Amino acid sequence: MAEYKKPLPQITPLSEPFYKAAREHKLLIQKCKDCSKYVFYPKHFCPHCLSDNLEWVQSSGKGKVYSYTVCRSNVPANFAADLPYSVAIVELDEGVWMLTNIVDCNVDDVKCDMPVEVAFEDITDTIALPKFKPRAA
Amino acid sequence: MKDSSRLAIIGAAALPVGWFPDQLGMDAAVLVLRKAIRDAGIDKKEIGAIYVSPPLADEWLEYHLSFARLVDEFGLGLHNKFTGQIQAGGAGIKSMFGAARGVILTEEPKNIILLHTQSVSGIPKRLPPEAIEDFARDGSRQYIEWEYPYGMNSDSRVALVTQRYMHETGTTAEQLASVAVSHHKWAQMNPFARFGNSVTIKDVLNSDVVAEPLHDLECSKLSDTATALVLTSAERAKSMGKRPVYVLGEGSGRCTHFSIVQKPDKDLSRLPGLSEAVESALKEAGVKREDIDVIEAHGGYPVFTLMELEEMGFCKRGSAGAFVMDGNTSPGGKLPMCTNGDSLAEGHAGFGTGFRTLYESVLQLRGDAGKRQVQGAKLVLSVFAETEAFMQFDVAILGKDLV
Repeated sequence: MAEYKKPLPQITPLSEPFYKAAREHKLLIQKCKDCSKYVFYPKHFCPHCLSDNLEWVQSSGKGKVYSYTVCRSNVPANFAADLPYSVAIVELDEGVWMLTNIVDCNVDDVKCDMPVEVAFEDITDTIALPKFKPRAA
Repeated sequence: MKDSSRLAIIGAAALPVGWFPDQLGMDAAVLVLRKAIRDAGIDKKEIGAIYVSPPLADEWLEYHLSFARLVDEFGLGLHNKFTGQIQAGGAGIKSMFGAARGVILTEEPKNIILLHTQSVSGIPKRLPPEAIEDFARDGSRQYIEWEYPYGMNSDSRVALVTQRYMHETGTTAEQLASVAVSHHKWAQMNPFARFGNSVTIKDVLNSDVVAEPLHDLECSKLSDTATALVLTSAERAKSMGKRPVYVLGEGSGRCTHFSIVQKPDKDLSRLPGLSEAVESALKEAGVKREDIDVIEAHGGYPVFTLMELEEMGFCKRGSAGAFVMDGNTSPGGKLPMCTNGDSLAEGHAGFGTGFRTLYESVLQLRGDAGKRQVQGAKLVLSVFAETEAFMQFDVAILGKDLV
């Protein structure tokens, strides 16, 4: 695999289950067994009810673009080769927001509320990043 | 609030905003601070506390300022009770107001210095290239896990806000660009502004796209500057200072989030807490919106200026763009706004944006704003504590008379 020069996600004991699943192209988020709310980013305890009773669940991987931008200049150096690229907030069907990139389409075709689904990118032999691509509504 | 616990600004000083590679942040700090002390007309023995806002990417300066370096520079050793740094990004100045109120209620002497300084042009001399790259990540750097791998920086973060705001309200690219036009018109009359050039809507829309829908002329540029304010109680200010400016009302917003994707109302086109903050500030000051002569609201990017006008009740939702494009906030308009040119045209003061907003408010209320003076300005509504990641907006109503 070609050397990946962009920043790698910092994997911590807390986020390890997320990235372990990502390697298998599964998107995990947390869910609180006490208040039933979904949680993302991974947290030590539920930010809604402060319960320790969080479990990892597999997300549908489906959602829609809440908002997006197309970066065209003045980006961190190692992203310059990717220009133009799309940065977006995706709202998963479970309700949580994720910051991500929209891939597998022309950047000019990205729109607010566009239906998308997760598309993992294997950036190294051991790390995959969840990104999103358009899907039929 | 009683006048003994109400704050007043009795001294204010600023240096130009710009790109001054030969100006050290410490030099700027001591020069601006002496200017502010002289402006207040107080003796240095009467300074009870110094609160400093952190300079950007300047570890050495931050260390010195947050300890007691200024005590040495000003020979304050036998008088000063507190020096320290309060860090909450651009909203830190709101916490400084709280700390200042504590001093005026419980300590002597009751004069409090608030200081901001930064040298952005000096960053290449201070940091190795990889650290500059780290600095350039800006707001994403804390989220090395969940944001930075996707190539977001502070411009693209605000682009996400702008895109959704336009989607929700139908605001046009021309209307957004007109905010930059209004700011630049004011900045042309501000001798301290870094970008005092004439700019048209066409210029804005023809400038490079940074992150859609944001153009280069819609993105603030970090700059070198320093600002100092001297605060005391309104009660004491009545009998001292040349021309005190009174903090007649204050309203606290909400610190809503740190990361953009954690914003609890799941709506990037709104600023929760700002309308309540304005209501409580107006109520405390005993004034109405129509009494306000000038709005000095830090925005940093056009979308926040529009959202502020709407959330504060000066424009209906979705109508601020047309309001600005019609010239209402520009020189000669019916609601002068951001008369220093805001960060966009004056230059961005990093964590010191609120200092610039308050400094400009003081100039307007004293009648010292030169060519950009709003005639007869008696009341300023200021959004003085605001952060670029838009997690917090706090307001104050400032007046030249204690009502």
